[in-house]
Amino acid sequence: MPLLDIGYRPWNGQRTPRWTRALVLAATGIHLVWKGTWLKRGMLFMSIPALVAGLFVATFEQAIDRAGPREIIRAMNRNPQSRSVAKRAGVDLSQAAQDPQSYRHFAWSYILFYLARYPQALGIIVIVGLVAPRLISYDLRSRGYLLYLSRPLTPWEYILGKAAVLYFLLFLVTALPALLIFGVGLLLSNDPTAIAQTWDIPLRILLASLVLTIPTTAVALAFSAMTQESRYAGFAWFALWVIGAVTYYSLWAVSQTSQGFYSQSDTDRFDAMNQWSNYKLFSPYETLGYLQQQIFGLAIKDPWTWTPWVLVTLVSIAGYGYAYWRVSRVLKV
Amino acid sequence: MSFDRSSGNMVFQLESVRKSYSGKQVLNDVSLAIPEGVVGLLGPNGCGKSTLIKSILGLVSIDSGKGKVLGLDWPNQVRIVRDLVGYLPEDDCYIQGLQGIESIQMMARLSGLQKKEALRRSHEVADYCDLGQERYRNVETYSTGMRQKLKFAQALVHDPKWIILDEPTTGLDPAQREQFLDRIYALANEKGKSILLSTHILHDVVHTCDYVVIMAAGRIRVFDSLENLQRPSQEGLQVSLVSGSQKLCDALGAQGIGCHCKSDSELVVIGDEKNTLDHIWKTSVQQQVTVLRIEQAKNSLEQAFLEAVRSK
Repeated sequence: MPLLDIGYRPWNGQRTPRWTRALVLAATGIHLVWKGTWLKRGMLFMSIPALVAGLFVATFEQAIDRAGPREIIRAMNRNPQSRSVAKRAGVDLSQAAQDPQSYRHFAWSYILFYLARYPQALGIIVIVGLVAPRLISYDLRSRGYLLYLSRPLTPWEYILGKAAVLYFLLFLVTALPALLIFGVGLLLSNDPTAIAQTWDIPLRILLASLVLTIPTTAVALAFSAMTQESRYAGFAWFALWVIGAVTYYSLWAVSQTSQGFYSQSDTDRFDAMNQWSNYKLFSPYETLGYLQQQIFGLAIKDPWTWTPWVLVTLVSIAGYGYAYWRVSRVLKV
Repeated sequence: MSFDRSSGNMVFQLESVRKSYSGKQVLNDVSLAIPEGVVGLLGPNGCGKSTLIKSILGLVSIDSGKGKVLGLDWPNQVRIVRDLVGYLPEDDCYIQGLQGIESIQMMARLSGLQKKEALRRSHEVADYCDLGQERYRNVETYSTGMRQKLKFAQALVHDPKWIILDEPTTGLDPAQREQFLDRIYALANEKGKSILLSTHILHDVVHTCDYVVIMAAGRIRVFDSLENLQRPSQEGLQVSLVSGSQKLCDALGAQGIGCHCKSDSELVVIGDEKNTLDHIWKTSVQQQVTVLRIEQAKNSLEQAFLEAVRSK
């Protein structure tokens, strides 16, 4: 028995606005996933490529008045892949070596695009795979949704709160490092025209980050809402990327072989690989990669295509819609 | 200190509420007005109790009907209603990975308390609900009884005007159950909370409730005060004995006093106290049976429940 028991005491304080309640759900979700050791390790590991990319930008800016950047651009010109990307971005690398400052925008975009396209895109597959499967499936299993939704939250706010957990983590691993690199580039640049030349890059970074974040979150939440067993959702998530990639490369390889792919020059081969092909629609990784390429202005020579944008929009709507439907449905007694 | 309920305000009033799932009518033209106080919601499994509660909270959408809950238009203002209601769900529900205290704090914040205030209030309510040091354990490791306490704390943390308890004593041992019922009683009678108690355990209703609603087949069959429901059709006295009720009953019958045995140790004597009490004492002495207790006869709630459920 307690020595002192004050019993029940009324409470009559000021309440926060109702629109902020979904943020509580997000904050709780972040607090919960942050307890995972593997997530912290993954996030730490993902900062390494960002540091390397930052080093490239810093080197470019520090050496811009010297021979360094010219040598870097010349090296890029020798590389068929970068030559191909530059060609589609409307940049002539052989000319760029004469005046590196005027090609700053391309150089930064190129570095940031490759950071987003490979280490970050692959990294978020792992990060989302670690975090997302349990976001809704755990609530379905332990009926935690009843606790959330008995408070002033709608099912949409519930979904938004869960999605915000992934938005936050993906912002940390995609947009934030890229924005920091951009900031480092500006700080290290001795050229006052750098801001005028690169003002649009932060917007491109944010858009590229959104393009990665919104559809992947939608699909991951839909998988999580499908089952009470998070491991099934995790399996489906990784299977989607692997099967998509295998399907795309198989179909693409067959079609390219019949078109004499291997008899082309290196530059043409890389150009063919980076061009839009409807086979990319089978692979989320390739589709999102192509969209990022467009966002960073590295595909401007390609004929504009709406197909990947439409697909990504439809998948996002379907993913969030399915998660909403599932959460609304389980409330029925 | 007893709370004055003389205002006679209604906690909720529902009119012609209907809800069906796949063609099956779960709530069938439910109209109900519940005053302040503790109301017991009784009914057999599948009669629509949980659907009614979830409808009031807007967790399931109704097919038709309207009403007022805590003076607010229902179902249009159901989100505001949720801010004013504390809900203890029947289901075993928890947020996996959170400690007990974090779990209460989160519910407080979802109801609009600031972060630090939510933590302070959570500890206050955890103390009241007797969560002890267990509050620092992850909720998935809790026993059923601990989870009930946790859900109760979550329901109370924002100091709701109205508390809805769906099977709150499930999984509690007898001592914990008594404590729980005492808390419900104290909240209602000392703090003026209105409480809706949905349960299968009639003893809990008798222990705590002012009013009783009995549902069956999606309809409200009975709504009355507990006092009225327990009032017998004929006045009488209930006599508890060590044993020998049949012997006493026969002897009283021989004197023209109507009575019937309920068991070897219990009988009900028909008639008012004034005319029968002397006869009971004298006859029990003559028959050498030991009387333990004499009280006004009451109908059992069980009887009222069964009659309500069986009626068409």
